[in-house]
Amino acid sequence: MRISFVGGGTDLPSFYTRYPGRVISTAIDKFMHVVINRTPFVDKISARYDVSEVVSHPRDLKHSRIREALLDLDITKGIQIASFPMIPAKTGLGSSSTFSVAMIKGLYAFQGKRIDKYAVAEAAARLEIKLVGEPIGKQDQYAASFGGLNVFQFNPDHSVEVRPILLGYKNRLALEDHLLVFFTGITRDASSVLSEQNNNIEVKFESLKKMSDSVLDFEGRLMKGDLRGLGQMLHEGWMIKKTLASNISNKVIDDLYDVGMNTGAWGGKVLGAGGGGCVMFLVSPEKRKAVLAELVKLAQKNNLIEAKEVPIRFAQSGAEILHDSSILT
Amino acid sequence: MLSPVLRFFTIAVFLLRTMQDYIKNYATQVEQALRNLPDQEIAKAINILQACYERDGRIYVFGNGGSLAIATHWVSDINKTIFSHHLDHPSRRFQAVRLPSTESEITAWANDVGYDMIFAGPLRNYIQDVDVVIAISSSGNSLNIIKAVELANENHVPVIGLSGFDGGKLNELADAKILVETEKGEYEIVESVHGTIMHLITRYFKNYFDHMVERGKSI
Repeated sequence: MRISFVGGGTDLPSFYTRYPGRVISTAIDKFMHVVINRTPFVDKISARYDVSEVVSHPRDLKHSRIREALLDLDITKGIQIASFPMIPAKTGLGSSSTFSVAMIKGLYAFQGKRIDKYAVAEAAARLEIKLVGEPIGKQDQYAASFGGLNVFQFNPDHSVEVRPILLGYKNRLALEDHLLVFFTGITRDASSVLSEQNNNIEVKFESLKKMSDSVLDFEGRLMKGDLRGLGQMLHEGWMIKKTLASNISNKVIDDLYDVGMNTGAWGGKVLGAGGGGCVMFLVSPEKRKAVLAELVKLAQKNNLIEAKEVPIRFAQSGAEILHDSSILT
Repeated sequence: MLSPVLRFFTIAVFLLRTMQDYIKNYATQVEQALRNLPDQEIAKAINILQACYERDGRIYVFGNGGSLAIATHWVSDINKTIFSHHLDHPSRRFQAVRLPSTESEITAWANDVGYDMIFAGPLRNYIQDVDVVIAISSSGNSLNIIKAVELANENHVPVIGLSGFDGGKLNELADAKILVETEKGEYEIVESVHGTIMHLITRYFKNYFDHMVERGKSI
């Protein structure tokens, strides 16, 4: 899965077809495992996630991403697809697109095809945006497919440039140690936030342009190891983002954010589309404990029983096929 | 007419100077190649290896002649030396394999199929999605190297290519294009710098793991 720093929202086609969108994000050590199993003696289609679905034809599946992928690839019988996420859906860590990327890569291998990272990301984006009809962007599919810390640039001609940030281990670990990711206990559907944001592109065009350009500034500060400056940029980005749609933030999120900032964080943001999920702060290691304690206290006061810290480390690896038994079956 | 003593002295100084010049000249050539190191591509290679380490993949390294020696040396460093300070630490280790891993395979492939297949042949036995290939070839055009790299390309397994001269085909096909650009035929310069680059990679991970352990992080 991934955390994004700045530029979220500029990966929507309503924006990047007019001005290059940019996002800077990193893959993290929270993975989605997808198992795809061929069942030559059973014709049924089985999808196993929070629930288990067994149907005779993929069109009857409730899980929209699995349904559309199977229909599109013309796989109509004898398959089981199961997902095992380390972090549940709707937490703002890009889990649904991570699932799509892993599944697409797996389904291609299931059909005996190997495709490269760009093709995997594009196929997953096509599945989610075109076939399922989600009003989302493409940053998460690229983040999941490539892994690592990257700047993604979404060009008006729909091409995507992937530029890895070649950060030394000291700067990378320092950044990790300064990040505090806190799950609010509130889950939300990215689509509800993004569809309002999609409609607001016209009004917010200048803000989004600023966000896209700020990605380059963020990259520069990251290379220099200016962590305090990065915190300030996260804060500014979050202030702009909040104006993009009415449901990106709410009272509880604002309170959590404020308490983090008032306890000494340098900056922060809500991860993902907004409305819930995780808040992330850039905070000095000395203040980290205090910030976390205040967040926990406030979450308890708001009865957010599932709220807790999500310890993260960056991951360099993207979606991979860990085992392919197709040659044996 | 110089006295015999003076003549001997003159010749000795002359010889010494030319030997020194020769040595200095070589050092200058190596220095120049080192100054032009493709740092971006080496950084990319380090990222590729980091990703491979995270997913517990294997690294296959190979080359011909001196390059094979560089590959073997590096395998020992990356598999053992970089963890020297933490040999009791229950950490994940790199899994680098010099290909072919036995002399029998080299001769079997060369004798039965052809010398072109001595790397691609054994590589096919091992290659998985999570792996990485490091190919070392000064010319970048050795056919047996290219065959193995093409196999990796077909499988979308990342290739780190160390080449010299103009990079040849290897530099075109590699994902991390580590080219030590020199005149054609400068094998000694290229191989010296390849050795340095492989040591640089070793050192990077050694320092990285030391840094992690010092900070109480698991590796």
